[in-house]
Amino acid sequence: MAGPRYIADPEDSVSTVALDGLSVLFHAPSGMTHIVAAPAPEILAMLRAGPADAAELLRRLQAHYDFEGDEAAEAIQARLEELEAAGLVQRA
Amino acid sequence: MSGTDREEVGGEAAGGRTFVPSRRTVLVLGAAAASTVITVRPALAQTAGSVLNCEIPVPGPHAGGNYIAPDGNLVPPGTQGAAPPLARPLRGEEAKQLLRGSTPPGVNPQSSQAYANYIRRLQSGMSGFTCYASLQMPR
Repeated sequence: MAGPRYIADPEDSVSTVALDGLSVLFHAPSGMTHIVAAPAPEILAMLRAGPADAAELLRRLQAHYDFEGDEAAEAIQARLEELEAAGLVQRA
Repeated sequence: MSGTDREEVGGEAAGGRTFVPSRRTVLVLGAAAASTVITVRPALAQTAGSVLNCEIPVPGPHAGGNYIAPDGNLVPPGTQGAAPPLARPLRGEEAKQLLRGSTPPGVNPQSSQAYANYIRRLQSGMSGFTCYASLQMPR
């Protein structure tokens, strides 16, 4: 069963500064600043290719990355919900 | 760092370029219960300017093209009496003017009440909500 699909704001809405292992994001539409760890920046980047649910996002990420652990889909869904709560992604 | 396989994670998300890793990297997704996002509360991050310059799209991208009824609800495009989508997002300062009952430059006065009511109906998770919420916070 397909889960909820998410979209991210366009790249020019978010200013990103990479720190040592973390990134600081300024989200212009909300005026909010967030400190994020991997895989949040990677998820946002992949979502800019178009709306996706956790399964589709996992496929996009797998094209570029290997994963640790057996619960990748659950972890990605949890990350999406977290990004939604922060206002960095929205349901499509 | 040169000569290793290490790749900077997320670094290319900055500066307006699309993030495309050039080499396969192990991405740590974290446990489902782990948190990877910390939001810096406006009280810490803000200046008055940052709040007044945040943006509220009317309507948000989830409802692109829909019109706004006078009560702030989304209605199909072309609905009689409804206001068309704004061509650009409202800045925090402009949203504040609308909520006070005045009309910022570039906004049709006939439609300003619909836009103000749309902003009042914003809920958590909708684009622009955190901007609206920030405008309500006392300083």
